[in-house]
Amino acid sequence: MRSPGEMRTRVEPGGDIPLAQVKNLTKRYVQRRPFTRTEYAVRALEGANLTIRRGKTLALIGESGSGKSTLAKCLAMLEEPSGGEIWFNGENCGELTRKERFSLHRQVQLIFQDCASSLNPRMSALEIVGEPLAIQKLGTKAEREQRSREWIVRVGLAANSARKRPMEFSGGQRQRLAIARALALEPKLLIFDEALSGLDLASQAAAIELLAELQAEHDLTYLHISHDLQLFPRLADEIAVMHEGRVIEQQAAATLLADPQEAYTRDLLMAMPSVESILEERPA
Amino acid sequence: MRFVTKRLIHVVLLLLAVSFLSFGLLQVAPGDYFDSLRMNPQVSAQTVEKLRAEYGLGRPLAVRYALWLRDVSRWELGYSIASNSPVSALVAVRARNTLLLSGAATVLAWLLALPLGVWSAAKPGGWLDRTAGVATSAMVTIPDLLLFLALLLLAVRTNWFPTGGMMSLSGEEAGSFWASCKDVAFHLILPACGLAAAMLPLLVRHVRAATIEALGSPFMRAARGHGISGARLLFRYALPAASNPLISLLGFSVGTMLSTSMIAEIVLSWPGLGTLMLESIFARDSYVVVAIVMLSSVFLLAGNLLADLLLFASDPRIRTE
Amino acid sequence: MRRRLKLGAAAVGLAAVHGAILFAGFLAPYDYASQNREAAFAPPTRIRFVDTKARFHIRPFVYGLKPQKDGAYAADETSAYPLEFFVEGSGYRVAGIIPLRTHLFAVRAPGRVFLMGTDAYGRDQFSRFLYGGQLSLLAGLLAAGIAVLLGLTIGALAGFYGGWLDELLMGGAAVFLALPWLYLLLAARAAMPLHIAGWQVFLLLVSMMGLIGWARPARLVRGVVLSAKERNFVLAARAFGASDAYLLTRHVLPQTSGVILTQLALLIPQYVLAEVTLSFLGLGVSEPMASWGSLLSSLQQYYVLSSYWWMFLPALLLIAVFLLYYVSADALQERVGSVRL
Repeated sequence: MRSPGEMRTRVEPGGDIPLAQVKNLTKRYVQRRPFTRTEYAVRALEGANLTIRRGKTLALIGESGSGKSTLAKCLAMLEEPSGGEIWFNGENCGELTRKERFSLHRQVQLIFQDCASSLNPRMSALEIVGEPLAIQKLGTKAEREQRSREWIVRVGLAANSARKRPMEFSGGQRQRLAIARALALEPKLLIFDEALSGLDLASQAAAIELLAELQAEHDLTYLHISHDLQLFPRLADEIAVMHEGRVIEQQAAATLLADPQEAYTRDLLMAMPSVESILEERPA
Repeated sequence: MRFVTKRLIHVVLLLLAVSFLSFGLLQVAPGDYFDSLRMNPQVSAQTVEKLRAEYGLGRPLAVRYALWLRDVSRWELGYSIASNSPVSALVAVRARNTLLLSGAATVLAWLLALPLGVWSAAKPGGWLDRTAGVATSAMVTIPDLLLFLALLLLAVRTNWFPTGGMMSLSGEEAGSFWASCKDVAFHLILPACGLAAAMLPLLVRHVRAATIEALGSPFMRAARGHGISGARLLFRYALPAASNPLISLLGFSVGTMLSTSMIAEIVLSWPGLGTLMLESIFARDSYVVVAIVMLSSVFLLAGNLLADLLLFASDPRIRTE
Repeated sequence: MRRRLKLGAAAVGLAAVHGAILFAGFLAPYDYASQNREAAFAPPTRIRFVDTKARFHIRPFVYGLKPQKDGAYAADETSAYPLEFFVEGSGYRVAGIIPLRTHLFAVRAPGRVFLMGTDAYGRDQFSRFLYGGQLSLLAGLLAAGIAVLLGLTIGALAGFYGGWLDELLMGGAAVFLALPWLYLLLAARAAMPLHIAGWQVFLLLVSMMGLIGWARPARLVRGVVLSAKERNFVLAARAFGASDAYLLTRHVLPQTSGVILTQLALLIPQYVLAEVTLSFLGLGVSEPMASWGSLLSSLQQYYVLSSYWWMFLPALLLIAVFLLYYVSADALQERVGSVRL
């Protein structure tokens, strides 16, 4: 295990192979109606395609129900896709053995929107951050505790707060805990499922700054999922738009914002007021 | 209608499962039925052998279960050695007595619980509420067994009530139907009151809670705004709104009622299913035991089903789902 | 604050009761089976400080028993027996392990001190109450423990894995709940031989009671598990590659602790009562072993009920014990309900 201070020096296999790729992914949920118990299918993903490039930040935007969270969960291997393929680091995830799958969890981590509920209220901060290491059986107990403490400090929390419970932290601090926990396994890909949406602006800004530092230090790749377009002009290198289970457009951020190809993207962008336009409309 | 059929199928499946367990019980119980049958001088040896060949251990379990089930469906529940009569007749009489007792107790309990609960809810924290609350809490801690023993003591000491049984010896020959009814009713007072008292705390608590909730809902404010008040408000507006959980409670309290009534029957010598069950266990009369087990389950499930149906009929919201 | 006081007081009370029962041998002057045929149905012995000559004695004493013609007893004022403390007497074992001989108080033979009177065989009711408590309380505790443990396992499996396992297990629970509890208990008892001797009957009864009572705890646990397994921290742990066993033990089951505790507090008195009922009906432990139920069973006879009031004393004490349990269950429920995690 490496501590947060060390820089990543390993040579990555082929800089132009994308870190992760989603090909033609489908996911259908079968639900039952409450009283009659007939089944009906919910089509969450319908042939979604996505390319995530190394070291970059990709923003995935779309309305609620467009399938963003489902895509994230499939990437994090929390859900089994009904069809299609997921490729990670040049390998097809569908063809991995169970053991390989287990170690793949170390490479992709998911951070939830409601960070309070993603932290077990009965565990201390130290236990929470160290849990992934414990599950993956890395290092001795003492080493794990040491790493956890380092990460807690690295994300900007006080060292002596290690024994506190999640309820004793503020919302922004809890989010940092979640980030520390996700990073404990040194993943290559971090997926943020609306993780910044619930925060107040100050915490949001602080979190964004922290994430930028960490990305540079550890050569991380980020996938931000959100319905809030405001963040991404500054955050994202690329933007992908999802609509009804499909990714309809994926482009470099600047290009997409300036010249969206799809009509839906245009509508989406138009619906969102920009700071400049607000300022423009104010009476002088 | 779909709802009804679904529930009925559910009940039938459960009954089948219970029958399966009961049949298993029959097999496990020590003592071969046919050995005891052989000791009955009225049954010839050939008949015993024939019965043994037909029902005995020679045949596979599934066949015996099927045969037994067929008999049960025809209301042929076997023969009771101890009382020298067919089980069906014996059990039917006792079941009637138990239903009489439980029915009377239920009516009495609800007659008391409804006003008590509703009036307590009308003025939460008032003197009635507090007194009733303390009384019910106190009664909850007294185990039913002790309650009935205390009632027995009362009967023995004061001679105001008969100390047990369903009819006095003279009552059997009293002749007129009305006279024997009065006799039974007189014997019914003590056990029914005891049983009602045992059920009361739970009922009052639930009636009170349901009424409080109903009183707090917006439509009640509207009713008050229309000038409706007092008893009319409580009983004709609040209570019907609170009836959902209470109907469920009625259905589900059948189970506890049956168990409590067994204790009442035994302590106060009321000749019902409970007393018969105890006697039959001591007499190793397996067929009676099994029949009672099945019957008690039928009553409990019927009570639940009735509650579900009442709920379905009374609450339009459930019907439209 | 008041709630904590309530829980504290009840807990202390319960601890005192269980402590007393545990040290039954120490507190009881007599064995539960030792008979005194000449003192059948003797009323509780009066502890006196002042004798017939109006002299005050610091050390309490009792008078002997003089049987009367009508079956009652009068105090034999010619023979006074002082109460002695920390007396060496018949041996007993604390918790079945530690052998001791010391009794808290006793009276030298042929004097007798019957704090709660005697029964038909002249057996000291006070001693029988203490020893009976050992049996009844232990039965209740063990049976409740078995039921909760079994219910926890089944409910957790059903809730966590869902699907056909859930349907199967909950279907099984429905069958057990389709019978009124007392009928179910007696039916299970009927499957066992009627007269079993010694400690085997106790173990058999306890396991039987526990094994048939898993359904309600299982349903409750299942409910908690169903909601707990969907919580995000469980998903997060799954994202780290956690196995089902880890998720269950580390995250899901701890969420059930509130339900389990309140269930135990409610079930223990219920199971104690079940044992008492069984023994009262004559289906529990057999003579001469004492259970609270068998102490009460003689009350079914009218002459006992009306003439010998002290036979009711175990009932009153029983009510006190149940009161303590219900108060703790109440307080516990409030406490658990308020600390929502």
